[in-house]
Amino acid sequence: MLKLNDHFVRDFVVTEQVYSHFVEAFADRNSLHMDNAYAKNHGYEAKVMHGNILGGFLSYFVGEGLPVSNTIILEQSIRFRSAFYLNDTLTLSATLVELYESVSAYIFKFSFTRNKKTIASGRLQIGLLA
Amino acid sequence: MTQDAILAKVEAILRDIFDDNTIVVTESTAAKDVAEWDSLNNIQIIIAIEKFYKIRFKTAEIQGWQNVGEMRDSILKYLGSK
Repeated sequence: MLKLNDHFVRDFVVTEQVYSHFVEAFADRNSLHMDNAYAKNHGYEAKVMHGNILGGFLSYFVGEGLPVSNTIILEQSIRFRSAFYLNDTLTLSATLVELYESVSAYIFKFSFTRNKKTIASGRLQIGLLA
Repeated sequence: MTQDAILAKVEAILRDIFDDNTIVVTESTAAKDVAEWDSLNNIQIIIAIEKFYKIRFKTAEIQGWQNVGEMRDSILKYLGSK
């Protein structure tokens, strides 16, 4: 059972497989995501990973990383604050901040950090299917 | 808090959640009367009401509501006991 202020931490690695499968599945081949030289010319360290890869990590967290089953994402918002790159290890920290027992709904505040710098943050509302 | 004020608030919540300003709520309005009012949207409705009134329903009472009038009566009960 989940309770207020429950806190979860999990690391995710942006592997070549994650990156290439995302590109293959969604076909976003914007140069910023594909071309290291292009990305560096625009002030980045290397080609920038797609921000919505984080959505996949959130999906894993909700579906597999919580001590409850039958979870479903009802709503999520995410603010991208900084770029992340291939082979980065990203740390997801999520805290349960609101709980609605009557409808088995839970709201988490979360952030992803890279080398202790926040790269994205947001809110995630989940429900438990009856 | 009057009964009409609660109905008006519920109506506003439904309009916001369903993005439909034509929704009109009366005490006899039921989920079947509003397109897309399914179990998932019902969660959002309950959360919005609990947040706004700073109350917490019991699962059993939600499952017992037949219409918005019965929901309103539950809200009034909680507001009265505050």
